[in-house]
Amino acid sequence: MSAAKSIVISCAGIGSRLGLGQTKALIKINDRTIIAWQLELFKDIEDVRIVIGYQAKDVVKEVLRHRKDVIFVYNHEYYSTKTGASFYLGSRHANEYVIEWDGDMLVHPDDVKMLLQEQGEFVGYSDITSDEAVYVQTDEKGNVVAFSRERGDYEWTGPACIKRDKLNYSSVHVFNQLEPYLPMKGLKIRAYDIDTYDDYKRVTEIVKSW
Amino acid sequence: MKFVFDLDGTITSQETLPLIASHFEIEAEISELTRETIQGNIPFVESFIRRVHILGDLPVDQIDILLGKVELYPNLLKFIKENIDSCVIATGNLDCWVKTLVERVGCKAYTSTARVKDNKVEKIEKILKKEDVVKYYQNMGETVVFVGDGNNDVEAMRIADISIAVGTTHHPANSILPFTDYLIFNEKSLCLQLNQLLLVVPE
Repeated sequence: MSAAKSIVISCAGIGSRLGLGQTKALIKINDRTIIAWQLELFKDIEDVRIVIGYQAKDVVKEVLRHRKDVIFVYNHEYYSTKTGASFYLGSRHANEYVIEWDGDMLVHPDDVKMLLQEQGEFVGYSDITSDEAVYVQTDEKGNVVAFSRERGDYEWTGPACIKRDKLNYSSVHVFNQLEPYLPMKGLKIRAYDIDTYDDYKRVTEIVKSW
Repeated sequence: MKFVFDLDGTITSQETLPLIASHFEIEAEISELTRETIQGNIPFVESFIRRVHILGDLPVDQIDILLGKVELYPNLLKFIKENIDSCVIATGNLDCWVKTLVERVGCKAYTSTARVKDNKVEKIEKILKKEDVVKYYQNMGETVVFVGDGNNDVEAMRIADISIAVGTTHHPANSILPFTDYLIFNEKSLCLQLNQLLLVVPE
C-alpha cells in the first residue's frame, strides 16, 4: 500500500440492530472480537485510526491488547450522528487518502491484501447477503454509479478509499459522503456486514474457512 | 498553530513528583496525597498547595538538579526542537523546580511561580491555570492544540481547538476524555499525529 494512506475504522456506534447489547467491534466471531480480526489484517499499516464513542473505554481496552500504536479518535456525538460523521472525524487530520472501514465488517483476508495495494480512490462492494442492505449500481466496467435503498447489482459494504479533503462534517452515512463523487472505481470483494443477528450467525459460519 | 504541552508524563516519561518523593524519602506523605487527588477527592489547587507545603522545605537547587535529569520522550523532544516556535509547555510545577528541565526541552514554558528564600520555597506566587495559556494564544489568532494527560488539564482541553490525551506514561485521567479529540498511547503515533496536524490544519 502507498505510505500516504490512513485506515479509519468506525467503532463508535451502538449496534442497536444486532441486539447483543454492545458495540459491534466487541462482538466475538469464533472467540475473537471483530476489532481483533481487523487489527490482524492491518498489522503492517502504520496509520490506523479507530473512531470511538459508545463503550469507548471497552473498545480502547480491547484494541490495546492487540496494538498500542493506533490513534483513537472520539466521536462524542455518536448517538446523534451516523457513520459519515465518524468517517470525517477519523479522516480530518489523516493522510491524503483515507480508507473507510466499518467496525462491523469482515472482509476475506485475500481481498484485504488486494484493497491495501490498490492505488487511488475506490468503492468496495460485494454480493448481496445482508438482511438490510444498501445497494450499489454499477456500469459495464464495474464502476459504482449510484447507491440505492431499493435496488442494485451488489451490496454496499465498504470499504471505500477517498481523498481526505473531499469529506466534511455532517450527520449522514458514509455512502452519502461518497455520492457527490460518483462514478467511482468499484472493486468486488467478499465483505460481510454484521447488522442483524442473522448476519452474525451467517458470518460466524463463513469465517471458519478463512 | 500552537502546540501546548503538559510536562509531567507527557514530555517526561517519568512523573516528577514520585521522583522527588523517592529521592527525599517522603513517599508515604506524597503517595497518599497523589491517590486522593487522582480519585478526585481533593481539587487540584488544594492538592498543589498541600504538595508545596510538603516539598517546600526541601532544597530547591537539589530538586531542580534532580528534575533536570528526568527521562524525556526522545521523539517528542525532537518534534518540539524542530518546531520550537510553535511549541510551549504549560505546567503546574513551580518555576524554581523545573528551571533546568524546561531549558533542556528548549521551548517557551509557562509554570506556576514561587518566591524562594534560603534555597526553600517561601511562598507560592501564582498557580498556573493552563487554560489561560490556551486562551492567550487563541486571542492571538492561533489554532491551539493541547496535549496532556491529567485532571488539571481538563479546562485547557475543553477550550483548545484540538485536544490530544496521551497515555504514554499512564492512562489519562477519565475527567479529560469527554473533551478529547484524540487518544494516543504510543510516542511514535503521537509524533505522527502532531506532524499530520502541522501539514493539514490551515494557518
